[in-house]
Amino acid sequence: MKGFFEWAIQSPLRELGREAIQTLPGLVATVVLVLLGLAIGWVAKQIVFRVLRGLRFDRLCDRLGVSAVIEGLGLARSSSYLAGQAVEGLFVITALLAGLNTLGSPMTHNLVERFFGYLPHMLAALAILVLGALVSRFLGRSALIASVNSHIPSARLFAGLTRFFVLTLAGVAALDELGIGRTTIIVAFSILFGGVVAAVAIAFGLAARDLARDLLQSQFRPQPKQEADDPLRHL
Amino acid sequence: MSEELLTGEIKQQLVGVGPVDIVVGIPSYNNVRTIGNVVQAAQVGLLKYFPDRRALIVNSDGGSKDGTRQAVEQANIDSQSVLLLQHPLYPVHRLTTPYHGIPGKGSAFRTIFRIVEEVQASACAVVDSDLRSITPGWIDLLLRPVFDREFDYVAPYYKRHKYDGTITNSTVYPLTRALYGKRVRQPIGGEFGMSTRLASHFLSRDVWNTEVAGYGIDIWMTTTAIAEGFRVCQSYLGAKIHDAKDPGADLSTMLVQVVGSVFRLMEDYAAVWPKVATSEAVPLFGFPFEVGLEPVPINIARMIESLRQGCRDLLPIYERFVAAERFGALTACAALPDDQFNLPDDLWANLVYDFALAHHRRTLDRGHLVRSLTPIYLGWVASFAIQTTNETAAQVEDRIERLCLVYEQLKPRLITDWGLGTGEKRSEP
Repeated sequence: MKGFFEWAIQSPLRELGREAIQTLPGLVATVVLVLLGLAIGWVAKQIVFRVLRGLRFDRLCDRLGVSAVIEGLGLARSSSYLAGQAVEGLFVITALLAGLNTLGSPMTHNLVERFFGYLPHMLAALAILVLGALVSRFLGRSALIASVNSHIPSARLFAGLTRFFVLTLAGVAALDELGIGRTTIIVAFSILFGGVVAAVAIAFGLAARDLARDLLQSQFRPQPKQEADDPLRHL
Repeated sequence: MSEELLTGEIKQQLVGVGPVDIVVGIPSYNNVRTIGNVVQAAQVGLLKYFPDRRALIVNSDGGSKDGTRQAVEQANIDSQSVLLLQHPLYPVHRLTTPYHGIPGKGSAFRTIFRIVEEVQASACAVVDSDLRSITPGWIDLLLRPVFDREFDYVAPYYKRHKYDGTITNSTVYPLTRALYGKRVRQPIGGEFGMSTRLASHFLSRDVWNTEVAGYGIDIWMTTTAIAEGFRVCQSYLGAKIHDAKDPGADLSTMLVQVVGSVFRLMEDYAAVWPKVATSEAVPLFGFPFEVGLEPVPINIARMIESLRQGCRDLLPIYERFVAAERFGALTACAALPDDQFNLPDDLWANLVYDFALAHHRRTLDRGHLVRSLTPIYLGWVASFAIQTTNETAAQVEDRIERLCLVYEQLKPRLITDWGLGTGEKRSEP
């Protein structure tokens, strides 16, 4: 009975205690590192936020249209605050992963390794998305103004379609960078191709409407020209 | 500025021409219909009014495909039909050359200025190749103030139809006058006389890859001449009747190049214009005779509709830099029935100042900003056309004078807000 008690209860508990004692420094180190990461991250966030605000980073982002994207996505109250938050997050995640690494288990070690291997792809995907949002905004606005100046009633629809195509392209490219749904690239190219053809057709129709009309007329109906749309001589 | 603008062949031709006192430049692009007459007028003008000066006519062409250059080469005057008081001592030489750089009128001017420097001429005149009302007298009127009165810059003064040159009447003239204090009535006229000193000064400036390479050249030259203290005058040339500038160029592109240039020049001369409080007349030469003008058709309903669509669709753009009260007033104007439509001068001038301030602050892409002015500009043209339907030329001139005074009265607001930096808050007039 004593042997059974020793084998069934005492020995496992002793083993558990020994393992706990062996793991405890690692756990403590993890907690300390995470706390340290949180503290340093908070300080870094404050520094980055204040320095960028001092350098009028928000104004630059306003001009580039980044602030509108941030506001639109509800990410942060300002561009400099978002940059501070990003730096803070980087510190916290690094500290957490460093802490997990101190536990010495193959699983956490593998997790850390994979995370740092994946990090550049995540950053690249993020950059693609931000760039895509900016480009879509710019091109959307170009299409809107050109459509209004050409008296096209569906100006906002054209602008929306332009933004949609560019954002779709950026989203697919970001997913590809993350290694998600690579086969969708083929589909994306199909969408892109269709989008480009549509955009070219719209651009040709808007910017060179008279030229298009003249070309078609000269090809199929070589007759005297009609009255110009805008007979005024503005200059 | 080390860029070579003249080919070896052109330089050789210039050597063959020898010393030159006067250069008359004619920029062109597909102007076969009119350029022959312009060259002939320039030639007769030089022979008649400057018989003792060596002269060269330079056609700076932007790659015309309609035979413009051939038209220049074939444009000869019938010496039997031209009555000259004095037999000319020298023949008028003629040269046609393609220009290099960004396609546009400004690049053509640059090549002409380079030739002026190369031949060390005393004075230079430039005339548009789309003119149908040019006479030999224009050459005298553009060059005489330079030779006899030592003016550096001679701007044209024309009689134009009330609906012709609406960018000039609505924006460029009133704004330039309010900013720099000189009443140059046609700051983007297209015909100018200038001293070689000023032509060399223009050539030395690093602006030829900007809007100045296009339609921005005229306002840039006028503003530079005024703001940098060169002696400026005007010559009365009579009627300006011309073909459309460039049938391929759309209105918003013209606005970007011309109004965008005015706004950019406000940056360049930010130390000059805030100090100018009032405007003064500029000497005017020539006899201001009355002329008949070609009617200009105008589609008022379409312009008002353009403003309505702009107010509806471009709201997200306007609300970034136009004060809410002002935008409200604009939308109220747009909502008026066509027969009661009116866009008040103070609202228009304030809106132009808002655009200038947004341009200064880079509130959004500058090309987008100026292009988005198009519907409001068309609204002003419609309002102006309605108000002046039955008005005479003199009454229309009074109407433009009143607009200029509004620009001048509102200028303190522009100066105040210009100094605020990039803050979003704007003061109300």
